[in-house]
Amino acid sequence: MTIIRKLAACAVALGALGTATAVIAEDKPTIVTVVKVTGENWFTRMEEGVVAYGKDNASVTTSQVGPAKADAAQQARLIEDLVAKKVSAIAVVPMDASALEGVLKRAGQRGIKVITHEADSMKNTMVDIEAFDNKVFGARFNEKIAECMGKSGKWTSFVGSLGSLTHVQWADGGSENAQKYPEMELVSEKNESFNDANKAYEKAREILRKYPDIKGFQGGSAVDVIGIGRAVEEAGLQDKTCVFGIGLPKDTGSYLESGAVDGISFWDPKDAGFVMNKVADMVLKGEEIKDGIDLGVPGYEKVTVKKGAGEGVILVGQAWVDVNKSNYSRYPF
Amino acid sequence: MQFRVDRQLGFLATVNIAVLVGGGLLVGASFLDIYNLQSMASQVPELGLLALGVMLAMISGNGGIDLSGIALANLSGVFAYIVVRDHVSVDDAPLLFSWAFAGVALLVGLAGGMLNGLLVARAGLTPIIATLGTQLFFTGLAVALTNGSALGLGYIEPLDNFGNTPMLGVPQCFALFLVVALILGVVLRFSPFGLRLMLLGSNAKAARFAGIPEKRILFLTYTACGLFASVAGIVIAARTSSVKWDYGSSYVLIAILIAVMAGVRPEGGYGRVICVVLSATALQMLSSLFNFMDISNFFRDLAWGVLLLAFLAQSGFDPKAWFRALRG
Repeated sequence: MTIIRKLAACAVALGALGTATAVIAEDKPTIVTVVKVTGENWFTRMEEGVVAYGKDNASVTTSQVGPAKADAAQQARLIEDLVAKKVSAIAVVPMDASALEGVLKRAGQRGIKVITHEADSMKNTMVDIEAFDNKVFGARFNEKIAECMGKSGKWTSFVGSLGSLTHVQWADGGSENAQKYPEMELVSEKNESFNDANKAYEKAREILRKYPDIKGFQGGSAVDVIGIGRAVEEAGLQDKTCVFGIGLPKDTGSYLESGAVDGISFWDPKDAGFVMNKVADMVLKGEEIKDGIDLGVPGYEKVTVKKGAGEGVILVGQAWVDVNKSNYSRYPF
Repeated sequence: MQFRVDRQLGFLATVNIAVLVGGGLLVGASFLDIYNLQSMASQVPELGLLALGVMLAMISGNGGIDLSGIALANLSGVFAYIVVRDHVSVDDAPLLFSWAFAGVALLVGLAGGMLNGLLVARAGLTPIIATLGTQLFFTGLAVALTNGSALGLGYIEPLDNFGNTPMLGVPQCFALFLVVALILGVVLRFSPFGLRLMLLGSNAKAARFAGIPEKRILFLTYTACGLFASVAGIVIAARTSSVKWDYGSSYVLIAILIAVMAGVRPEGGYGRVICVVLSATALQMLSSLFNFMDISNFFRDLAWGVLLLAFLAQSGFDPKAWFRALRG
């Protein structure tokens, strides 16, 4: 019975291996960054920051991994294996924060340092890093819209969905800021685009029909400005409207050129990747993460530190990047 | 009856051992230490249970498949949590909560499975269409119940222990998976139901003329698939401390891959539970090994494809006959 013999041989080899494996010495601490999905522009850009930190700091090894499909289950499995492998620190951008609580708790119990990004509700993290305060971010959009539309006239806001906490915070931050200007009138606020540029386009067209004299649009999800821009362009209202919102330079470029979109803001994932690794390194060295420290990256020179949802802290920067027609092409994502 | 070591079983056992040995050689002792073995074992049940469902559906023949597994698993978790949290206090009675959660989840699985069963057995729909429909239905229901966001369960000690704490060195959810697999194996092998299911799968017409109650068997088969899915749902809830409609959206195809790699005949009539278990563990260990070695997850998909092709090739390849043919 050859199969039995094969099995027996394998079993013997395995046994020998178990007793004879040399323990490989752990030389350098390893920081692994786990992203939502591999191969997306956003996270490819983030990897540049992760690699850059490793290059600048020879005392640690940094790397970035992510599932091939954007699925919370795949991300959890990936982290599960990293915990078993016992890396020194895990920096994660959660696909779905609540699905990772379990595995990150096990990571903590095994002595692995856990850093998160864009997950301020996460309990089992030591430091959660937010690029900026969401209310302030929303207020900044509104400030620009107000300036552009001469502080008077009708304006509206978009959100990906009413369930997306950050989008709603941006819209609320905007409307709070607009109260400073009594001449500005907010109409049919928080239109849901469901993170779909086409839906945003249809919604924007409806609004243009209903309020032909509307002057301002604040985008919520990263694709809202694309849809709004298209609707504005078709209506030939490039010069009469002010469109600001979160967006990515590559996707929004043509609308910035035509003037249908006046300006976009975002945070640079490269900096976020760099900062995550820097903070992980600091936690590994036992340095304290305290209010007002300078992480040496633009936008993170004077960070705010507050208490998080669990034991850890939330670190907030002012790392927004504003671009318009003149400088969007500097950002390759 | 004697335990058969056939080609599939031998091949899968060899792959399992080869991956373990290879992992030990390539990564070192950390791959073979008890923590990682437990960690890998506790990752198996989610997919393993879904693969058992796919296997049952495939055995029943007539293009049998269950695409609704993971959707039903998520719906079970979501529904059970929403119902139970209103009636049992987590803080006062965590144990009661856990059992009630599991009970309701199983009922949802039973109902979902019966719906699939009715569609396939009574309405006579093609399984791939029927379960695609119910997949969308279950997913939609879970979205509607939660407005699309995840529900965190928080720390519920008994449930958390079930998902994460080993008992006598074996993770409890893995032990449950083995028990479920053992029961299914015994039923398929020794019960009249198992025999009838195999016969139905190999030749539906002959089975009908032999007086095998086709509709009842199909109904029971898909109901069992639903039950397995809800057990997977309980494991997912325990391990992630949360329930969400889109968890594991990539599992549908992986579960089918596990079943096919286990030698389950897609056209029906044959499949062994132990092979599905070994196939699930092999995929898990291989995937963990790649993660240990920092190999891209895209490559992992490729490797699984290669493994599947290697398996299909070896099962259709008879070396003796080939040599005989060579000698002319």
